[in-house]
Order: sequence, then structure tokens, then C-alpha cells
Amino acid sequence: MAEAMAESYNRDSEPTTRTLLRRVLDTADTLTPRRRRSARVRRLSSPTKMNVRRRSHRARSIGRLAHVHTSGNLEEQTPRTLLKNILLTAPESSVMMPESVVKPVPTPQVVQSSRRESSRGSLELQLPELEPPTTLALGLLAPGRRKQRQRLSVFQQGMDQGLPLSQEPRGNGSASSLTSSLNLTFATPLQPQSAQRPGLARRPPTRRAVDVGAFLQDLRDTSLALASPGDSLRTPVATLPTDTVLEDTQPFSQPLIGRSPSVYHSLPCLSHTEAEDAKRAVSHRTQSSGPRLQNHNPGKPTQLLAGKAKKVDALAVSFPNNSSAVSGEDGVEPLQDGVGEEAEERMEESLSVSKVVATTGTQGSVRMEKSKGHREMTEAAEAKEPEGSSGASLELASSTTEFLQARRPQFLEPAPPPSAAVLSSEPLEPLSTRLPPRARTPGPRPRQDPHKTGLSHYVKLFSFYAKMPMEKAALEMVEKCLDKYFQHLCDDLEVFAAHAGRKTVRPEDLELLMRRQGLVNDQVSLHVLVERHLPLEYRQLLIPCAFSGNSVFPAQ
Amino acid sequence: MAFSTTVSQRKHIKRKAPRGFLKRVFKRQKPHLRLETSGDLLVHLNCLLFVRRLAEESRMNAFESKCGVIKKEHVQAAAKLFFSPTQPELRGMKENC
Repeated sequence: MAEAMAESYNRDSEPTTRTLLRRVLDTADTLTPRRRRSARVRRLSSPTKMNVRRRSHRARSIGRLAHVHTSGNLEEQTPRTLLKNILLTAPESSVMMPESVVKPVPTPQVVQSSRRESSRGSLELQLPELEPPTTLALGLLAPGRRKQRQRLSVFQQGMDQGLPLSQEPRGNGSASSLTSSLNLTFATPLQPQSAQRPGLARRPPTRRAVDVGAFLQDLRDTSLALASPGDSLRTPVATLPTDTVLEDTQPFSQPLIGRSPSVYHSLPCLSHTEAEDAKRAVSHRTQSSGPRLQNHNPGKPTQLLAGKAKKVDALAVSFPNNSSAVSGEDGVEPLQDGVGEEAEERMEESLSVSKVVATTGTQGSVRMEKSKGHREMTEAAEAKEPEGSSGASLELASSTTEFLQARRPQFLEPAPPPSAAVLSSEPLEPLSTRLPPRARTPGPRPRQDPHKTGLSHYVKLFSFYAKMPMEKAALEMVEKCLDKYFQHLCDDLEVFAAHAGRKTVRPEDLELLMRRQGLVNDQVSLHVLVERHLPLEYRQLLIPCAFSGNSVFPAQ
Repeated sequence: MAFSTTVSQRKHIKRKAPRGFLKRVFKRQKPHLRLETSGDLLVHLNCLLFVRRLAEESRMNAFESKCGVIKKEHVQAAAKLFFSPTQPELRGMKENC
């Protein structure tokens, strides 16, 4: 609350009720009472950056207003007009003024829902801001809300003993009262109250203690109303922008939901999209069988990296080093997981990853200021290359870890050369020690495995597109669907090729298939789809393009 | 220069089509047929679009049942749209007509 107050005070030189109400008017959009109050409340509460509670509170009150509005209490009045009237009629007064001065300000009624915290002197200043909108709500709601009445009466009894009570915004006449001139914008609602308690009539408003219990209950009610529809409806909106950005970002940002939070949690703050790209690039290949390993591995090196990275000044050198280091280290994870996989796929991956890491390593080495560091890097990189080609993923894994360990001290600017020399001996030693223990062989591979591996690629794509957590049974169902899909696909292609009198399936058959499926039509051509969904390299292969020398590739 | 090639290489890896897998699947199903080089990529494109549609459909089913998790039934219901008689699936074409 204190920060919110400070924030509001920073925004305006002199935050008054008027300015705050203006802000509310600016941020809240004009809504017509079409839907349930919870829907409106959610929309109202989403855009602003103000104090969440204040906003939700106002929204809630406005929502209630609207709710009553639909019930037909006031035909022409909207919250916006009511607030505008308040602005017109309310006097300019600062919230910063001491209590005694502020009291006469038109913030009479403190209603249960408006109170946020127990009565504290410092926070009482905020209450006047909150009161006007809430009092509006209450004024309009009064007839329908027995619960509130009860609470209010209880409240008032409690307050009677404490502070002098102010009028309460009860009564249907509050709408008209609002348009009346100010000091007592809420004068009319006082009447029913004053009938009960003559002593309260025309008292200056004071702040009362908050009934925490009632307030919490209200919060709970609205949060329940907000939470469930809010989440569900917020996500589809969120998907649209990410869909369009798909080409630049990786398709596999979300598949491994179990492990992603821990990985992100452990990533240093300096890691940026490149690092994440690299991580996902290699991570998508791993089966989700080994989240534990992945969790442990990034935990240690990233923590060390984070610790050392923070020591370095913000140099351009360190930045790409960090990113490439993180990407290199991420290469470690899938390699270690990949021990249980087919050799060919892992070979391919390890080679590509080693290429990636080597290039980043050489980049880093080029940028290194220290000559020793440079030598270290190149020797580590060289040590890596022959091992990468050996085809044993475990050696590569160990070498990359050593590579990373060798790189880590380079982040430290003041690291003395002798320590670098000491570290250079490190990569070579543990290498040999690590080779023997990794005796895990893949074992007999079932025939289904390569099929499953390929399918898992699409299953991960599915979980990415779905953007929601999925059950394991659902993923298996997706695999079955994919199998069926491939069968249908092959059958259709066979029919099309036979129809054209061919025994080879050509791209025209594929185009016909997509046309039948409704993906390609007169508005959307195949080339458009290719451009949208496939990466550049494939696009070049598929879409004929003219090059210099009167040549077209691919040849038609 | 080196930096940019690394970036594009990474992107390529992410979006790679499992061409070997696709070729193998086709060969298993239809050994008497041949698949052209680029046809492979178009099959991958088709798969991508299929998976995307399936995912969106099952996500909508999950929303309708007010579930925060996609369940087997949602996926099954979505798949029915695709594998039942093709007419309901040609909704794209029908909308354009």
C-alpha cells in the first residue's frame, strides 16, 4: 500500500480526489451493461498499472454499479457520468493535508467494501480517494444488498464507539444527490441513515477502521469471479501475438513444462534470447524422459556462471560470452540425456551442437583480451573437435563441461594469469577420468523406437501449439492420431499419384491433398503456406526462384 | 559474420523437418511408391498444419469443459473432426464457398 501511495504521489504533484478520479476515468473504458459484473470487472481491472487492489476495487465497485444498472435502477446514469459529476462538484483538496482539513472533503462514506486495511493513520489518507467510487456503488446497490446492509449496520455500531460516523451512501436517491452541489454530494443518501441515527446527520466524514473480515470476503468473491474466466480468456488472446511471431522464435518454447520453470529460474539474468534459442534448439530433441538430469545440470553451472558473471563489468565481451556459455552448457544437457538414444540421431545432434559450441567458442576466443585465455579456448576447442568426431556422445558431454569450466574463469577480469594456467590443466585431467564411468549403452533398441522418436517431434509441436499443460494420456492419444494421420496421408497420396498415372509422388499431389483438406484455396496458395510455416532453407528448396544468369532454382 | 551464420544455423535446427523419419514412414506404408525430394518437405508442412489445427481444436475443447489441462477426451473429440467423413473437415473450403 505504501508503494502504491508513493507511486500515486509521484505521478501527480498533488494527488487529489479529483486527479485520482480522472485517472480512473481515463483508464476505465466506457462499458455498457451487457454482461455479468465479473466480466466487466475483469476488463476494467486489466489495463491499468495502478495499484492492483485499488484498481480491482474500483472496478468492482463500478462493476457493481453496472450490475445494478442492468437491474434498472438508473436508466441514464453511467459510472462515467457520475464520476464526472463528482469531479465537477467536488472541491479541490489535497489528500496530503492533515486529517482535520480533509474530513470535510466529500468522501463521506466509507463502506465496508471500500476499506482495505485496519485503521492506520498513514493509510487513512488513501481512503478518501477510494470512497467516492465505492460510495457510488453502494448508493446504487443499497436496495439489493441485504448482506451489505447487515455488514454496514454492524460496522456502524463498531464505528459509533470509535470515530464519529459520517453519512452513509445509502438509498436510491444517491444518483440525484450526486448531481447536486458538492460538499455533500452524498447528502441525500444520508437521509435514510439519519432517520435511524439522528446524531449522524450532516457529520463531516471521517475515516473508519476497515472491517477486515468483510473486505477479505469481498476480495475472495471477486477474485473467484476474476480468476477462472480471466485465465481462460486471457490465454487465447495471448496466443495470437505469439502465433505471428512464430517464425522468429522457436516452436519449442513450452513443451517441457515440468522442467522449464526450474531452468528459467536458474538462468542468470544476463541470458537473453540467443541463449534461450540455443537451449531450446537442442532441448527439443531430447525425450522428456530425463528432466531430472536437466534440472541438475543447469543448476550447478548456471549458478556458478551467474555468480561469476555478476562480478564482471558490463562489457560487450562478457555478454556474448555469457550467452554462448549458456548455450554451450545447454548443449550438455541433451547430450547427457541422449546417451540412451539412437547413435545416429545423437551423432547428428552432437556434431551440430559441437559445431555450434565450437563456433561460439572461437567467437569468444577471438574476443578475449587475454592471450592466455585465447590459447586456453582454442586448445579446449581443438580438444573437443576430435572427440566430437569420435561419435561417443559422452566424451563430447564431458569435454563440453570442461570447456565450460575452462571458460568460467575468463569472465573474471582481474583473474591473474597463473590461475588461468592452472585451469588450463583442468580440462585435460577430468576428461580421462570421466571416460570409464559412462558405460551406459543404449541396449537392444525396439523397432518402434525410431518411429516414436520421429513422432515425438510432432508431439512436442502439439504441446507447443496447445500452450496448455497436457496429460500423458493425451500425448499418447496425439501419437495415435499422428499414426492414423500418416496412414491416411500415404493412402491419399497413392491415389493421387495413381490418378496421374505416376508411381512417384510429386509436389503436385501434395498440393492437391492440401487443397482437399481446405488448407490451400483460392485465397491462400501453397507458396503462401510454405512461406509462413517453413524456415528459409526449406522455402528456397520448395519455391522456385530466379537467380542471375537466367537460372531458376529449383529447376522446373 | 560468424555470429549471423550461427544464429541462422540455430534457427534451422529448431525448425528442422525430420526428413529421414518422413521418408521412412512413407516407404514402410507404400514400398511400391517413391517420394520426391521436395515432397518430403511438403509432407512436413502438412503435418505442421495438421498438428496445429488439432492442437487448437483440442484446446478449444478443453476451454469448453473449463479444464486447465488438456485431457485425452479433448484430443479424441478433436481428432474425430479430422478422421470422420471428410465433409465436416472441409470447413475451410465451405466457408470460402
